[in-house]
Amino acid sequence: MTERFSFDTKKEFLDKLEELVKSGVSKKKIDTYTPYPVHEAEEMLDDTQSPVRFFTGAGAIAGCIAGFAFTIYTVLSWPLVTGGKEIVSVTAFIIIAYELTILFGGLTAFAGFMFLSRLPVFKNVFSPEVEFSPKFEIVIKREGPK
Amino acid sequence: MDNLEDKIAYHRAVEHDVLSAMKNPSPLYWVGLLVSAACFALGMSLWGYQIWKGMGVSGLNNPVGWGVYITDFVFWVGIAHSGTLISAVLFLFRARFRSAFNRSAEAMTVFAVMTAGLFPLIHLGRTWFFFWLLPYPNQRLLWVNFRSPLMWDVFAVSTYFTISAVFFFVGMIPDLAIAKRFHNGVRKWLYSVLSLGWVGSFRQWKHYSKLYMFLAAFATPLVVSVHSVVSWDFAMSVLPGWHTTIFAPYFVAGAIFSGTAMVITLVVPMRKIFRLHHHITIDHFESIAKILLFTSLLVTYSYFVEFGLALYSGNVYESGAFLYRLVGDYRYLYWGMLICNSLVPLTLFVRRWRRSIPFLYVLSILVNIGMWLERFVIIVTSLSKDFDPYAWGLYKPALVEAGITLGSFGFFFMLFLLFTKLLPVVAISELKEVADE
Repeated sequence: MTERFSFDTKKEFLDKLEELVKSGVSKKKIDTYTPYPVHEAEEMLDDTQSPVRFFTGAGAIAGCIAGFAFTIYTVLSWPLVTGGKEIVSVTAFIIIAYELTILFGGLTAFAGFMFLSRLPVFKNVFSPEVEFSPKFEIVIKREGPK
Repeated sequence: MDNLEDKIAYHRAVEHDVLSAMKNPSPLYWVGLLVSAACFALGMSLWGYQIWKGMGVSGLNNPVGWGVYITDFVFWVGIAHSGTLISAVLFLFRARFRSAFNRSAEAMTVFAVMTAGLFPLIHLGRTWFFFWLLPYPNQRLLWVNFRSPLMWDVFAVSTYFTISAVFFFVGMIPDLAIAKRFHNGVRKWLYSVLSLGWVGSFRQWKHYSKLYMFLAAFATPLVVSVHSVVSWDFAMSVLPGWHTTIFAPYFVAGAIFSGTAMVITLVVPMRKIFRLHHHITIDHFESIAKILLFTSLLVTYSYFVEFGLALYSGNVYESGAFLYRLVGDYRYLYWGMLICNSLVPLTLFVRRWRRSIPFLYVLSILVNIGMWLERFVIIVTSLSKDFDPYAWGLYKPALVEAGITLGSFGFFFMLFLLFTKLLPVVAISELKEVADE
């Protein structure tokens, strides 16, 4: 059995949410649907930080290492002096590593977001149970008599 | 907005106004689309002609081996940059007025990078060997040269395109989920797939906000690096007028300047045609005009510094190159550039002009022209007159080059016009959020 409250404004929505949380409804059973991010609701229901940052950090570090490893590997695999530069021209390779840091970091952040938000939701794509609506909604899943 | 009813009405109005912009194109729209598609087709045919006949059909010669194509490349990469500035940098600085512009600016970024990406291929001559640019070993197991700025360019521009495209798409997910409610048939299907089943639960928003922040934080240093790398295509050589340390910041400032002008050029007609006056207001334009004025002053400052560095260097080639820009064969272009980029934007100090849309529109077009001239002057004057008088020579763009340039504008405007009808042109969720604050 689910209970559903729907509001037109953020204020009413937040007031009701606060009331529900204070009245002892388990936070895990509450879900909210809002037309834009409401950070107050996020803080009330789950004040942990989004793990997207770990994906991003891991991707960025991997990109940086990959950038240096790749360029250094290629010049060592056939050492050819060009323009009188050193074989391992770290200064030049910084640029490749810099770009790959951003590229990998950005892509893993996106992948992390998709994974953590459980997107894409295939069953929601064509026959949505919940639509993304202009209303502020609170849904409580209660275990009731079946 | 304090009144509750007002807020609710505003939320409905935003959805309605923005999404009705996507319906029923007017005759003017079709004319615009047709003209840009025709220009693009002309450009592509001329490119085909150039591939068939060889690079001799362009005006490129010895010593001027870089001309209009490289000018166009730098121009379009520059245009892309302010899209990132408006969407990412202003997001990090919590500048609320960005919500009116950010979607069109992001679209502009993606399309401008796509347009820019064509030019290295056009300039290659033997376009079919473009894959030599990709980092893989050749038959003799020799890899590409990572010490070359041209190779840095490949990495910088492709990273820029990828990250901008992801940023553009991520920003649109909630709005696509709204668009899905307003459409039927194929378009409903399309928006359903693209919005990935987004419902706006607090967990989704939480990860989404974090992702958006990270992408903005990545895009900002990226945009600085991309135009720096483009400037190093020149600065890494030893040519007088190119070989200078000021090039990277100078190019980045110029890029943001030209891109801001292009945002105005695109958003003014868009706002008028789609009647978005309530959502993109004069105040928003005034804020953008201030960015334009600020970057114009930065660019003007760079012009002075560049000249000062050359004249004080005590190097006859260096000072000769700059005097040649000022009074040599290409002087009218240089003066035109100074008028468009440094002189005319000073009028923005006057509040009344800053708030006049027709004035801003004309000004933005002048800045676009001025910034194109800037790149042309930098590239061509340095090549045409370097160290040895025996190796001097002049360059005049051929008709093929002019046609391909026109084609690139056609390509860009065609993509932008398609965007205005296919995707939500203003960030609906963000406007709602800003209105409620």
